[in-house]
Amino acid sequence: MSLVSARLALGWLIGGEWRAHPARLALTAVAIAIGVALGFAVHLVNGSALTSFEGALRTVNGSADVQVNATTPLGFDEALYASVSTASGVADASPVVVLRATVGKTRFTLLGLDVIRAAQVTPSLVGIAPAGIDRRTDAAFDDQALFLSSAAMRAIGTKPGDRLTVAANGRATPLRVAGALPGVAEGQAIGVVDIATAQWRFGRLGRLDRIDVKQVEGASTAALATILPRDATIGTSASDASRSAALSRAYRVNLDMLALVALLTGGFLVFSAQSLSVARRLRAFALIRTLGLPRNGIVATVALEGLAIGVIGASLGLLLGYALAYAALTRFGGDLGAGYFADGSVRLTFAPAAAVGFFSLGLLAAVAGSVLPARIAARAAPAAALRNAGEVIDPRTPVPWIPAAVLIAVGGVAALLPAIGGLPLFGFASMALILAGGIAGMPWLARTLLSPLARRPDRNVATGLAIRHLHGAPGQAATALCGIVASTALMIAMAVMVTSFRGAVDEWLGQILSDDLYLRVEGGTGYDPAAQAVLRATPGVARIAFSRQVPLTLRADRPPVTLIARPVADGEDPTLVLLDKAERLPAGTTPIWLSEPAARLYGWKVGASVTLPLAGRYAVAGIWRDYARQQGAIVIRDTDYAKATGDLTRTEAAITLRPGANSREVQRALAARSPRTLASLISIAQPATLRRYALELFDRSFAVTYLLEAVAILVGLAGVAATMSAQTIARTREFGMLRHIGVSKRQIIAMLASEGALLGLVGGIAGIALGGIMAQVLVHVINPQSFNWTMATRVPWGIVASVAGALVIAAAGTATLAGRRAIAADAVRMVREDW
Amino acid sequence: MHDRALLRVTGLAKSVPGGRELFRSLHLTAKPGQLIAIVGESGVGKSTLLNILAGLDEPDSGRVAIEDIDLHALDEDALTKIRATRIGFVFQAFHVLPYLTLRQNVALPLALVSADRQTIDARADAMLDRVGLGARGDGYARDLSGGELQRIAIARAFVHRPAIILADEPTGNLDPETAAKILDLFSKAVREDGVAAIIVTHSEAAAGIADVVLTLTATGLERRA
Amino acid sequence: MRRLVKSVLTVAALALTAAMPAATDYPVVRPGARFVFPREHGAHPAFRTEWWYVTGLLKTRDGRDLGFQITFFRTTPKTDSANPSRFAPKQILFAHAALSDPSIGHLLHGERAARAGFGLAQARIGDTDVTLRDWRIHRLPDGRFVTNVATRDFSLALTLTPRQPPLLEGKDGYSQKGPRPEQASYYYSVPHLAVTGSLTRDRKAQPVTGQAWLDREWSSDYLGGGAVGWDWTGLNLDDGGALMAFRIRGAGGKQVWAGGSLRRADGGVVRFAPGDVRFDPLRQWRSPRTGALYPVTQRLSIRLPEGVRRFDLTPLFADQELDARRSGMPVYWEGAVRTAGGSGYLELTGYADPLRM
Repeated sequence: MSLVSARLALGWLIGGEWRAHPARLALTAVAIAIGVALGFAVHLVNGSALTSFEGALRTVNGSADVQVNATTPLGFDEALYASVSTASGVADASPVVVLRATVGKTRFTLLGLDVIRAAQVTPSLVGIAPAGIDRRTDAAFDDQALFLSSAAMRAIGTKPGDRLTVAANGRATPLRVAGALPGVAEGQAIGVVDIATAQWRFGRLGRLDRIDVKQVEGASTAALATILPRDATIGTSASDASRSAALSRAYRVNLDMLALVALLTGGFLVFSAQSLSVARRLRAFALIRTLGLPRNGIVATVALEGLAIGVIGASLGLLLGYALAYAALTRFGGDLGAGYFADGSVRLTFAPAAAVGFFSLGLLAAVAGSVLPARIAARAAPAAALRNAGEVIDPRTPVPWIPAAVLIAVGGVAALLPAIGGLPLFGFASMALILAGGIAGMPWLARTLLSPLARRPDRNVATGLAIRHLHGAPGQAATALCGIVASTALMIAMAVMVTSFRGAVDEWLGQILSDDLYLRVEGGTGYDPAAQAVLRATPGVARIAFSRQVPLTLRADRPPVTLIARPVADGEDPTLVLLDKAERLPAGTTPIWLSEPAARLYGWKVGASVTLPLAGRYAVAGIWRDYARQQGAIVIRDTDYAKATGDLTRTEAAITLRPGANSREVQRALAARSPRTLASLISIAQPATLRRYALELFDRSFAVTYLLEAVAILVGLAGVAATMSAQTIARTREFGMLRHIGVSKRQIIAMLASEGALLGLVGGIAGIALGGIMAQVLVHVINPQSFNWTMATRVPWGIVASVAGALVIAAAGTATLAGRRAIAADAVRMVREDW
Repeated sequence: MHDRALLRVTGLAKSVPGGRELFRSLHLTAKPGQLIAIVGESGVGKSTLLNILAGLDEPDSGRVAIEDIDLHALDEDALTKIRATRIGFVFQAFHVLPYLTLRQNVALPLALVSADRQTIDARADAMLDRVGLGARGDGYARDLSGGELQRIAIARAFVHRPAIILADEPTGNLDPETAAKILDLFSKAVREDGVAAIIVTHSEAAAGIADVVLTLTATGLERRA
Repeated sequence: MRRLVKSVLTVAALALTAAMPAATDYPVVRPGARFVFPREHGAHPAFRTEWWYVTGLLKTRDGRDLGFQITFFRTTPKTDSANPSRFAPKQILFAHAALSDPSIGHLLHGERAARAGFGLAQARIGDTDVTLRDWRIHRLPDGRFVTNVATRDFSLALTLTPRQPPLLEGKDGYSQKGPRPEQASYYYSVPHLAVTGSLTRDRKAQPVTGQAWLDREWSSDYLGGGAVGWDWTGLNLDDGGALMAFRIRGAGGKQVWAGGSLRRADGGVVRFAPGDVRFDPLRQWRSPRTGALYPVTQRLSIRLPEGVRRFDLTPLFADQELDARRSGMPVYWEGAVRTAGGSGYLELTGYADPLRM
């Protein structure tokens, strides 16, 4: 008897079910759709942002084979150009000065190029080809010619022939827009001037930031590496890609995981809906098994239903996901507000592979959610199933707890394993295992929680019946609960994590923002020693600590760390709260203090000698807490920094006021005493403002997280609603019988409401407990492994309580509503009802 | 050929899992057009016997042959095929699927083995005519009374021209008047189609239409005079 | 009041001057300069344009004839001389090398270009020594020139041994290029250079010998007025004589200026006035790359005291167009030619696009 010959019968069964319960099937399809949509949207947004970011990087780099990059914005000595040019394996080399320039308020990357070299190495960055000696034109070497990409021209609002004042590195110079950069990709704001102009007019004489290298075919970069000084590193397109990916990878993976959680919750919803649908149809299945349907026919029927749900849901999800991604990109930007990709606009790029992937995942969730219960149904003996409606309930049957315990234990072990490639994969596995274990343990938990209640003598018919039903059929309860437990657990876990994180950040901000005023100069320029002295003498200023922050590239394939040059007091410095401290440093080394992420990223311990791309020998004197710079930061004493680099410019200052000084007046005085060129670039803020701003930034970067959480919980609640109504309807005959023996309609509704509330309560308790455990994995495993910072757990009791309350109310409410419908019919009919 | 045995049961023995023996060395033969009623007290194993006859349960020993095919020598698939093609079922609870049309319900055994829709529909309609519900093929179970539902069930049992019909308390859920009509319909169909029918019942009325009434006791089947 | 206005104006004028780049002023080529060697072999960076231009014929060991051209150009762009950057484009150096092999049928060539500086590219003052990364031409103390060039298709390492003194073209090296006297260049040639060295192709080096011609020219205003290009030839005559002739063409192919000289085997020099030189095309060839129509076979007629002498210049093969526009070089035809009683190079410029120099 093959399934093929029974296809007509299967078609009737599936078609009949869909005609009978279109809303339920639609709901499960929507659950899958939401999961797929979220996953796909998050993936698309991330992918588009990364593509745009890498595109921007490639554009600025002009797609050279290899680059020699400066490790800091101070650049490296231009003499390196000659040695790189003549190094073995180098076919040609193009020296580059890279500046962050502004025209008015428009920012763009200004490159100083030797047009002859660039024409060979990075032709896409060339605005005008050098003319031959037969042209008698020096346009290519015009020291006032500025070539702008079309995006830059649009942003500035200029056209070839216009004269502009371009500011960079604290200097401004008039330039003439000589033409466009047709080789630069759309959307990238880039300008190009002659390298000599860039060096001379923007204070970069003798320095280069980059050398683009064209390699001899098949050459390696090994020879090049040997001649590089400490302040330069080799970058290739591979290291560029890995660097830009590293910038936000952990964040992106975390979002992807959250999206998958939503999909998983959708899968649970399908599972619970299909479980009930199967349970409800158990006798129908038994009948046709008796009539001659092969055993796998039932699985096939339900799997086909799942497949149909999956196809509809996943297709819908892809469309929805694309729309969501579009909306998110236009509304929040490519990093969804997290601030990773500051520059450039992001265009949505469709990802066929991801579309197929998420479609398959949606299908898988729907089919798996259907097949599992169907297999259980197919195993039931048809003769027994024909007599018994639904589950064989025996309150004495022991409920297994070992599988659940094993899953949770394995999950706990997985949490102890280290990250793989900077990603907390075992952490995620651990969460999944704990979640699976928690769900597997639901029947046991339901039984255990309800046992004391069930043993108690009844005071109330309704609640008594409700407790007995749940206690006797914990598997049924668990089915109804798995969706809600999963989504509650995940939401609680996320809420605990975010609360812990936010609390830690808040506390940390309080520690570091201990001065009265903070001053900062934008745009890579700052105060020279003379200007610093003028500020120091400002009336009302008791103490002013100047500092400088520069990006420092330690490894070509990692984003730069922030090097912070600032005064550090000997002994305890109250503004540098250390987590760990070296007892003693190797002789002859200069102390540096690593931020926690820097220490974790580069694996440096206190007391260790380290090599920085700066002159001198360094050792780690301490590790300090930092939640601001995910890529790591290094504090170096300002005097040591000056010694190593000769750079005396300072871009930031922390100011302590004299007692009684008026903060506003001092702010005005500081601005007035600053050099005129800096006037528009200075911002002065009070700690409260900075703190508010930082927390706003924090909330914005977690906005999407909150949204995904909310959706997961909604899907979970929808699951409870669907489950409750399905179970209620399935028990119509039971209600009829109860009515016959004298239970009132109101009592039945009360019973259902109590059952719902109990389910919600059990689900809530289980979800919160499970979420609490998973939160520990998030806070102590996933967060440190992906963002490299640690924190203490803080529990958002308010959220926990409201989630529990919402669950109880939602479950009880839907149960009541479904109950009202179920008992609307008269009792006689209800008892006679065949199914 | 007239006395060819459609069902032959020899030396059947079955104990319940607890160890209590339901029957031992049970023999039974059913010929075309023959209607055999099996009566007995609750718990003597009437339903178990019926399940064994349908291949849904296995005996401890002995043999069940339908049209000389030994059921218990067959694998699951072959058994399923025998049930789908050679056996018709009538249940106490009518088991008419509420979400299928009545025609689809009747045609279900045919649809399990064939996808030829026209033939299936034609035969189902003919069968509906025979049970007096010819005009109701497009209706649904909820429109029918208990007696009508059992007529549908009988139509479903006969529609694929099985060799034997197994009926478990077919009138158990019906009032006596309706039950009489159903039994009449049932016995007519058995004789017209020349099938062998086994009815397990408590009902004297049901036993009354049988050619042979056997009582299941602890020792085996006893023929009632 | 007037004083105030005046002082404001002065300040404004000063500001204006400060804002304007201190533009490079090029010296004008005038007659009467006295050439001093080896100083003139070296660079003259004050002038806008200068070149070291070697053309010649090579014979391989298996007896095949090849033409070659190795040229180093120097130009001084008009830029702000106050720019202290070491990258300031004070001097730009170009070079190209081409090989004419009749068996290939078109030129093999390669280029180099760079702004001077960082030891990667420079043109020495005082004697010939021009370096462009791995390319170089320099003069040894014994007077021989050594040049090394490498392209994707071939490398040449040649030693050029002068056997005759430099031939000062025009009036003692003042070579007028147009009707106005400042439209001129300083110009001398070293004909009959004996060539030895090696040619590397497909990683196989082979010894070559031959004869070459070095042109040295520097100028600030080479092509004046309506001139669009020129035809030039330099011929090493078998009797030891050396003939150089050129004509400057205006729009429509009209000859706007011409000149040249013949140094006879005995050392006597005849200088040509514009009316003494005629180029008549005998065969034209159209470039499939640029569409330019080149008179690749020409009859050169020169008026000598003893009468008009004609040289039919026949190219080794027609397609000797050098298209180096991608490297910022002009498109022109530069081909090895033979004539009865001599051989040398013919150069045809401004046929694809008008030149401006």
